[in-house]
Amino acid sequence: MNALPNPFARRAVRQDGALAAPVLGGDQLASRLTKRYGDRITGSFVQPAREGRFAPLPGDMPPALAQALRSRGIEQLYDHQAQAWDATAAGKHVVIATPTASGKSLCYTLPVISAAIRQRAKALFLFPTKALAQDQVAELLELNQAGGLGVKAFTFDGDTPGDARQAIRLHGDIVVSNPDMLHQAILPHHTKWAQFFENLRYVVIDEVHTYRGVFGSHVANVLRRLQRICAFYGVSPQFILCSATIGNPAEHASALIEQPVTAITESGAPVGEKHVLLWNPPVVNPDLGLRASARSQSNRIARTAIRAGLKTLVFAQSRLMVEVLTKYLKDVFDSDPRKPPRIRAYRGGYLPTERRAAEREMRAGQVDGIVSTSALELGVDIGALDVVVLNGYPGSVAATWQRFGRAGRRQQASLGVLVASSDPLDQYLVRHPEFFQGAPPEHARIAPDQPLILLDHIRCAAFELPFRNGELYGPQDATPWLQVLGEEGVLHQEGERFEWIADSYPANAVSLRSVADGNFVVVDRTEGRQTIVAEVDFSAASLTLYEGAIHMIQSVPYQVEKLDWTGRKAYVTRTQVDYYTDAIDYTKLKVLEAFDGSPAGRGSAHHGEVHVARRVAGYKKIRYYTHENIGYGPVNLPDLELHTTAVWWQLPQRVLEQAFDHRQEALDGFLAAAHALHIVATVAVMAEARDLQKAVGSGDGAWFATPDANGRAQMRAGFGEDEAVLQGPFVPTLYLYDAFPGGVGLSAPLYERREDLVRLARELVHRCDCHAGCPACVGPVLAADEQQERSLKSLATRVLDLIVAL
Amino acid sequence: MSVLAVPEPVPMRRSEPLPDNIRALLGVRRHTAAAPRKVMAAPATLPGRTIAPGLQLCEAIVAWPPAPPLFHAQFAKLDAWIEPERLVLFDTETTGLAGGTGTRAFMIGMADWHEGQFRERQLLITTLAGEAAMLDCFASWLRPDSVLVSYNGKSYDAPLLKTRFRLQRRASPLDGLMHIDLLHPVRRRWRGAWENCRLATAERQLLHVVREDDLPGSEAPAAWLGFLRGGSAAPLHRVAHHNSQDLRSLGGILHQFASPQDVPLINA
Repeated sequence: MNALPNPFARRAVRQDGALAAPVLGGDQLASRLTKRYGDRITGSFVQPAREGRFAPLPGDMPPALAQALRSRGIEQLYDHQAQAWDATAAGKHVVIATPTASGKSLCYTLPVISAAIRQRAKALFLFPTKALAQDQVAELLELNQAGGLGVKAFTFDGDTPGDARQAIRLHGDIVVSNPDMLHQAILPHHTKWAQFFENLRYVVIDEVHTYRGVFGSHVANVLRRLQRICAFYGVSPQFILCSATIGNPAEHASALIEQPVTAITESGAPVGEKHVLLWNPPVVNPDLGLRASARSQSNRIARTAIRAGLKTLVFAQSRLMVEVLTKYLKDVFDSDPRKPPRIRAYRGGYLPTERRAAEREMRAGQVDGIVSTSALELGVDIGALDVVVLNGYPGSVAATWQRFGRAGRRQQASLGVLVASSDPLDQYLVRHPEFFQGAPPEHARIAPDQPLILLDHIRCAAFELPFRNGELYGPQDATPWLQVLGEEGVLHQEGERFEWIADSYPANAVSLRSVADGNFVVVDRTEGRQTIVAEVDFSAASLTLYEGAIHMIQSVPYQVEKLDWTGRKAYVTRTQVDYYTDAIDYTKLKVLEAFDGSPAGRGSAHHGEVHVARRVAGYKKIRYYTHENIGYGPVNLPDLELHTTAVWWQLPQRVLEQAFDHRQEALDGFLAAAHALHIVATVAVMAEARDLQKAVGSGDGAWFATPDANGRAQMRAGFGEDEAVLQGPFVPTLYLYDAFPGGVGLSAPLYERREDLVRLARELVHRCDCHAGCPACVGPVLAADEQQERSLKSLATRVLDLIVAL
Repeated sequence: MSVLAVPEPVPMRRSEPLPDNIRALLGVRRHTAAAPRKVMAAPATLPGRTIAPGLQLCEAIVAWPPAPPLFHAQFAKLDAWIEPERLVLFDTETTGLAGGTGTRAFMIGMADWHEGQFRERQLLITTLAGEAAMLDCFASWLRPDSVLVSYNGKSYDAPLLKTRFRLQRRASPLDGLMHIDLLHPVRRRWRGAWENCRLATAERQLLHVVREDDLPGSEAPAAWLGFLRGGSAAPLHRVAHHNSQDLRSLGGILHQFASPQDVPLINA
């Protein structure tokens, strides 16, 4: 509470008539917000404060370690820490899944340090980000120093200088790294780490809930390779994993390491009272059901909280939104350039030094408001906070709690506010608070045997150690894959062995975090500068770095002048504009092969392989504050193509002709039904929304349909401006596809649950409060489309009725 | 109860058979290298004689370069007097420059002054399985007081061989040996004076060696891979010749450093 509200700001509040008196805690802020904005709050609940449950320091702990803990003021352990000690002592693999800030790190630090003291045993720590790794080493060093334990801990990451690496390999008792370094630098050079591996006793993996989907599937394969290397050196280390609260910690941890795991899920740490508000922006156009933007509401809540002297963190879904919200808050709180800034943005894409500086300022309490992407969701230490505002639903219940967990002090109530965006999923959740309240946290899923991922890692594994004919990799025989690699010329088979023979370093060509390799660097050319100001993932580049795009960095707008796609560079200059840009993309699918099919009502459902072509066709310029569309620009970028798996539904032309007066109606119905199915499917398989995509088109790829400016379906044959359609049979197809080459296993469970999905989608549409359709069910509708007969809602229902199980 | 024991591994996903479309999937991301054409082995004979399955040895004794006198290795920043009999010159030919555990040496060339004469011995593997025998043979040539001599071997050849010994579960005989890496004294003396400090430049400047019909070092991996995949053995002779010239130049350069009065002043 070292932030005094700016007196000018306070006066402004009084003039507004709102919140004149200072507010002291999250609970009071919650009740004031509820009083004033009761109609916007759709749900409100309180998690009571909870007393801690403690256990004495274990008697079998090395005395020096116990002494070190006492000298740091730790006289006893939380219950879950003691359980973790017992389970690791019993030789079990353990996963600890307790809330943010419950003292998880002691669960692994204690056994690791005690083994280092007693047997000079080594440990490998893996964190998803470098920042977390550095925090952890700082903590270990403090404990080590406090007890004079003589345990050496080092970070080993991309920033580690070459001359330090040798010493770390030989002398590190605890090496703290990340999965990417393990994949690209340690495993392919394992012979240099021979001494380390020969004495490796523990592998600690923190934040395992982040290892899901594509990234998690890669990491599971890196762990297969790690265990293969360990076997070569004759060790089988014990795994200690930590996770935020997820629905299946034991199962997920066990899927990652492919061994049985004991789960510890009850936290013994005391927590302060936590208030949660679900907030739906007010309706601004009752006819259309249009609501005010989440952004405007988050901005208002954050402003109120910061003025009340509460340290506030706002989570935004995209880097763009981080910049927009930062700008809005800075406009209010940082108008005086002579004073140190009170508002900071924090996100990936900033340079590491800039991020470290932001973290330091936050810990020191110099910052009153932080706007961040999910980058701050993990345990980066930024000090205590009072209020967390989520600008939009983060996509899962687990992530929501994880983010809310960022606020909280022992002595004082904290507040979390979830502000729903117009996104249908948000609307669904915010209108069904009982779902949110009662929902079990999601399950983390991985698909380590996804063919492309598997092949990539068998390639890397073969580089590390030769394979024997018939050798298992994970649960399966690697031989057929080795033969593919043999044909490619990178492996040579001689007798029983497949050996690496190519002059290449395969791990460099495999990125764990994205489909295609190669980040883009953003180069500032303003007034003859030539400096790198940011980095952007390959996957985000086509949506944010097209020529003409306004790219925001710390709320300073830059315009992209030139994009060098092959060189992975974007050249930008500083600019002064009153708009931002938003990409428009088109998607076209074609069925390559159906693996499976079955009748679905009067149509059919299928599961199989598809080809997806995606193009960023242009961009919109959107004015700040008013958000009106003030123009378009063209984009010329290569199409992104991928083969993946999908589930799809079709209706025969005859059925369509009976059910609909004309094609336009049928297509509108398909697009609307796709919208509803996508919502329920995303929830059903707990996918990241961007990993599961929807599309409507023809089964043969002849055309696809997108909503036009009026929300009505428009058929297009190609990506060009005016390629109207069409001849031939009319077989509209509704696709849900896995947005990763080869698929990450989302479509198979969707196919298995196809009947449920259609039924749930029907219920969603049927029970929605809107008249004619809205973003929460079938997508946005215009006023002109309100007639019941031909509303999107009724058309979607007609399509869903036709494909629902008889 | 908060500790949930999981008795059995959670059933893993069923292991999927290799999808028929894996090649199509691959095609999305990379162009599969054309499979090498299997050709019948050309009748060219292999260099040297077979001393173990998959292992050839070539031996030669040549008059040049002459043995250095007893010398002090100060030029290599080593405070030791070295008897010429202790010197072991070595140079490897490898499958590439990628580094890591996937790169191997298919030829180890070694030379010493045996009874006053320059003796070259080259080990060449003709199967991957020959590697263990090659490493054992090379190890048998080293004594605890051997002094290694190389050109860039400290950062390249020696670590690579250590990796191979480790992968073959053998102790590395290179550990603890004194090592004169001539690249460094050459650099200290002639960096900036020559266009670069590569071995080819050093031998031309210092020894006036001009190579004739030399196989560029970068083509050695392809020559060996071609043979391994059923191609001709003929290019292997050129690899051996190239490696032998490297060894002789190494000896010549060492001789120059070991006899300081002979070292020409800056020769540029």
